[in-house]
Formats: sequence, structure tokens, C-alpha cells
Amino acid sequence: MSKKVLMRGSQAIGEAAVRAGCRFYAGYPITPQNELTEYMAEAMDGLNDGTFIQAESELAAINMVIGASMAGARAMTSSSSPGISLKQEGISFLAAQELPAVIVNTMRGGPGLGNIAPSQSDYFQATRGGGHGDYRTIVLAPASGQELADLTRTAFEYADKYRSPVLILGDGMMGQMMEPIVFPEPIDVRTFSPKSWILDGAKGRPSRIILSLLLNPPEQEDLNWRLARKYEIITREIPMSESYMTSDANMIVIAYGTAARIAKGAVKRVRELGLKVGLLRPITLWPFPNRPLKELSRHVREFLVFEMNMGQMIDDVKLALEGRGNVHFYGRPGGIISTPDEIAKTINSIYHRQHLEED
Amino acid sequence: MKRVPFDMGDIDIAWCPGCGNFKILDALKQALTELDLDPEKLVIVSGIGQAAKMPHYVRTNVFNGLHGRAIPAATGIKTANPELTVIAEGGDGDMYGEGGNHFLHAIRRNSDITNIVHNNMVYALTKGQASPTSTIGFTTPVQVGGVTEEPFNAIAVAIAQDASFVARAFSGDEDQTKDIIKEAIAHRGYALVDILQNCVSFNKVNTYQWFKENTYYLEDSHDPLNRIEAFKRATEEGKLPLGIFYRNPDKPCFEDTVPAYHTSRTPLFKRKVDVRKLQVLIDSKRSG
Repeated sequence: MSKKVLMRGSQAIGEAAVRAGCRFYAGYPITPQNELTEYMAEAMDGLNDGTFIQAESELAAINMVIGASMAGARAMTSSSSPGISLKQEGISFLAAQELPAVIVNTMRGGPGLGNIAPSQSDYFQATRGGGHGDYRTIVLAPASGQELADLTRTAFEYADKYRSPVLILGDGMMGQMMEPIVFPEPIDVRTFSPKSWILDGAKGRPSRIILSLLLNPPEQEDLNWRLARKYEIITREIPMSESYMTSDANMIVIAYGTAARIAKGAVKRVRELGLKVGLLRPITLWPFPNRPLKELSRHVREFLVFEMNMGQMIDDVKLALEGRGNVHFYGRPGGIISTPDEIAKTINSIYHRQHLEED
Repeated sequence: MKRVPFDMGDIDIAWCPGCGNFKILDALKQALTELDLDPEKLVIVSGIGQAAKMPHYVRTNVFNGLHGRAIPAATGIKTANPELTVIAEGGDGDMYGEGGNHFLHAIRRNSDITNIVHNNMVYALTKGQASPTSTIGFTTPVQVGGVTEEPFNAIAVAIAQDASFVARAFSGDEDQTKDIIKEAIAHRGYALVDILQNCVSFNKVNTYQWFKENTYYLEDSHDPLNRIEAFKRATEEGKLPLGIFYRNPDKPCFEDTVPAYHTSRTPLFKRKVDVRKLQVLIDSKRSG
């Protein structure tokens, strides 16, 4: 068994990636995620079968990942918001070419260059595709050091299983936070089942071609149908969420990542005051965990969405609730981090305004 | 140093004490003053990096945009309003890494912009990764075993592509740097000024002292009109030459090739729409 180690979030992703069999990393400097790049540089240097490249730009890095992925390696890149925007054409191509890859976004305040403070400004970009074309990316939103490690392993597994790019969405706060982590045992890359589609030489077999240019509309339609069927399977198989004190709740706070940690603190505070409030924390942002929300809406009327932006996930919450219940919103954009007290006050005011204490 | 019209007065500057950027800032402001440029008729465009903060410290028009994209933004500004003096400014990572593609094509296009590149051979804003100009063997927390890629030789690349003005300066010599910047701004067409600069925090190899010992000025006898000779000097081994390597005064400026400026230099925003001409154009595109 592995033992507990104290580690920064960004380093935890790096260590978990290496243990998940990631043997290719390409990146470009951007704050606040250089610690992950540093970790990968050192880790790959210490392995005799790992490759690290500091690329000349984010675009170069994502295209290097495309190359490594089609050559069969478990590959990863990472950046922060403006750099992730630059990677979007590559992410669209990964989706179209059905290539596995893991992309880590340490979100910061935006739009534009914004700042380097923790934010959740890229929810739309992550969950709606970000790049051009009719595609989806799996999006995982860890909320603790342990989960960063666990979900990094999961990200590589999903990427290979569904042959799809997988995004890990964090922020600078999560990257800097030091928490005890138990890492899963490293996977021996030699035990991976061979991939039937990679470009590894065509001796004695027909050559393989990986492309995304399908000028003949029926061929493009075939790809889009195939992707759609795959997304349907993913939507069925992987939605993940955490429910906290929801069983007797008459009001539910919905938050993910760093915001969910703050919200959990707020829920604890208002529980002490006797308010029956629970937290639903989506762990997969796409596919969104619709089912638990739908079930909660049978006996809960008030929902408060808390995000570190001006309201993005709230759209998915409304879609999941299908018009049932009242959806309130509280958000702080621009890299401002709310306190649990701030959220507790908001919960309190909604709770009493809606006379929930009489329920 | 006497106060110049481009001074911001008492402001906070976010560079480390001893940073070569201070000298470049002073040299630039002095050059602009000596050229008698009007702050209202100047735009400094930058991207991202420690160097790209510089326009914030100059009293003039400033556009601080995306990482690596100062040159295309500067090209847009100059083409829309050729009355402005346009400087695209940034560091080695900004201009040669992220913006490397734009750098190559700015040379080809030959828009009348001055491209000032602070070259400290390291990414300083992100705290010390190797840059495109870092030397082989340079170690950082990311280049654990040292850099293996050949450093980008911007001077040689620019001469090879027949850039219309190519120079290298060293921030430690403020006077000469100022003179080179003056020549570059006065030059019509794309002008590259690569300014070697020490980074006190993240480059412990290419220090102020190192640059002092490893640079020298091209001799007075060097003929900047001789491209082959300039290329030879740009690629010679050992110490790095400083000064104006190459000029091609005969290259047409991009703005001169834009039809809108064939008969008049009036900026686009000052022009009235010729409704009759527009109507003729619309009519000519109508079918039937």
C-alpha cells in the first residue's frame, strides 16, 4: 500500500499522471501552473521511457500531444485559461480523430488576459466544446488533493476507453493547496492492452490513416453519428457527483471544485443554525450529473448555484431541473474568492425569504 | 537624466532592482525625445512578459495585447493609420517563441514598424524557464538536464530573409542603445532591434558582466549594405557583435503597397465614404 504524502495540488496531478502511465508531456510556461510543468520535466527526466518537451507555444504543445497520442503514448498537456484557448483547435482535432489525451486547465480570471487568481471562468469553454465542430470533451472537476490524484488516473482511463480528450478543470488555489494524498500504485505501461488504431508501422498489414478531413458529407455524417453514439454512452456511464447532507435538506447548494469546498464550509455553518441545507457537488461537469438533481427536485424547492464566475454551470442546473424549483445564483468573478461566511449569509437570506424554516 | 516628455513621473515599476529593462526604458524614452516625436503620434504595442510591461511606463498610446501577438496588432495599427509611429515591443519568448511565426512574416511584409526585442535569454515573468534564445546547457527547474536546442539567432534569420533593418544592442550601454533605437525608428520599413539584457533573478549565466565580456561593437568599417558580410557577422562564433548589421533601404514598405495609400496618406478613420463610388461598386456586383 502507498502511504500518505503531503503534496501541492499541481504536483499531485503530475505524480498521478506518471503513475497512470503518462509518458509524454508537452507544455508552455504560463502562470499559475508552472509547478505542474516543472514536475513533469523532472519526472520524465527520471524515467528512461518518458518524454518532456517545452514547446515554442501552446499550439505546438497540443499538436505534439496529438502526435504522441497517435503514436500510442499516454499523453498530457497543461495550461491556464488563455493558453487553453490557444489549444482549442487541437482539442477539436483530438475529438474528431478520436485520440485520447489529457488536458489540465488551471483556470484564472478572464476574459482576455485577465489575471492569475483562482477562477471558474472557463466552464462554458470546457463543457460546450471550446473549439469548433460538433463534439464534446469529458470534463472532471476535482475538489481536493486526493481527488486531483484519483481523477488524473480516471482521466487517462477514460481518455483511452472512450478515445477522447479529457479535461481536468482546476484553479490556482487547488494547484497551490497542500494536502495529504495516497497515490494509487503505478501502472506498468507494458501491461496496457495494445491499441488497434495507432500508427506504429504497417509491416504485414494495411496502413492506418488518422485524419479529420472528410470532404464527402456522408462520411462526415458517419463520424458525427459515431461520436454522438459515443457521447450517449459516456453520458450514461460516467456522471459523478457528491451529495453532502442532502437527505433531509429543503435547500440545496450546487458548486464544484474550489467553490464546492467553500460551499461545504457554508453548509456546515448554516446546519449549526438549524437550517436544513445540503450540497450537491458535480465531479463530472460533462457529462453533467442530471439524475441526482432531478431526484432532489422531488422534495426540494430552492436551489442555490455558487460559482466563481457570473453564472455558467447554472445553465446545466436549470437543464437538469427541467423547470422544477427556484434556481438562485451567487457568484464572484475576476479571481475573487468568497468566504464560507459570505455564502452562509446568502443561504440564510434565501432560506428565510422563502420561509423554509416553516417546512 | 533630464526629464523627457515620455516620462510617467513617479510610478510603480514591477521589475526587479538591477533589471536591464530599466536601461532599455530610459534609452527608449531618450531616443523618442531626441527624435522630437509627439507622444500623441506614437503607439507602443506589446504582448506578455516582463519586457511587455514596458509600454505601461511610457507616457504615450499603449496597446498591451496577447502573448506573441504584438507584431500583428502593430501591423493593423500602422496600416489603418500610417501617420502614427508604431513600435512593437516584447521579450525573446514573446517575439521569437509564441510570436515567432509573426516575426518571420513581419520581415516579409516590411510594414513600417520598429520591433524592439528585450533578449535576456530566459522566461522571467513565469519565473525562469529556458527561452528560444537560451544557450545550450542552460539549466532551469524545467530544463533539468540543460537546454539541448540551438538558440534562435534572430539577427541571422532576419538578414537571411532580407529584413530592411537589423541591429543588436546591449542594455548596459544606454547611449549606444539609444542611438540604435533612434536609427531603427527613423528607418522606413520593418526594423529589428534585438537588445541583450541581463535578468538578475532568473539568468545567472548571462549576467551583466557576461554580456560586457561577450559583446563588442561592429567596426566602423562594417558596411551594413553588404548582406553577405552582415550574415557572416551574425553567424560568427564567439563574442556577440553589437550595432547595425544590415540595412536594405530599397525594399518597398507594406503601407506603400496598399492601394488605399497610393494617392493619399490620410488615415482611414479620417476619410469620408465616397457614396457614389460605393454605389457603382455595389451595382457592379448585382446580378441581372
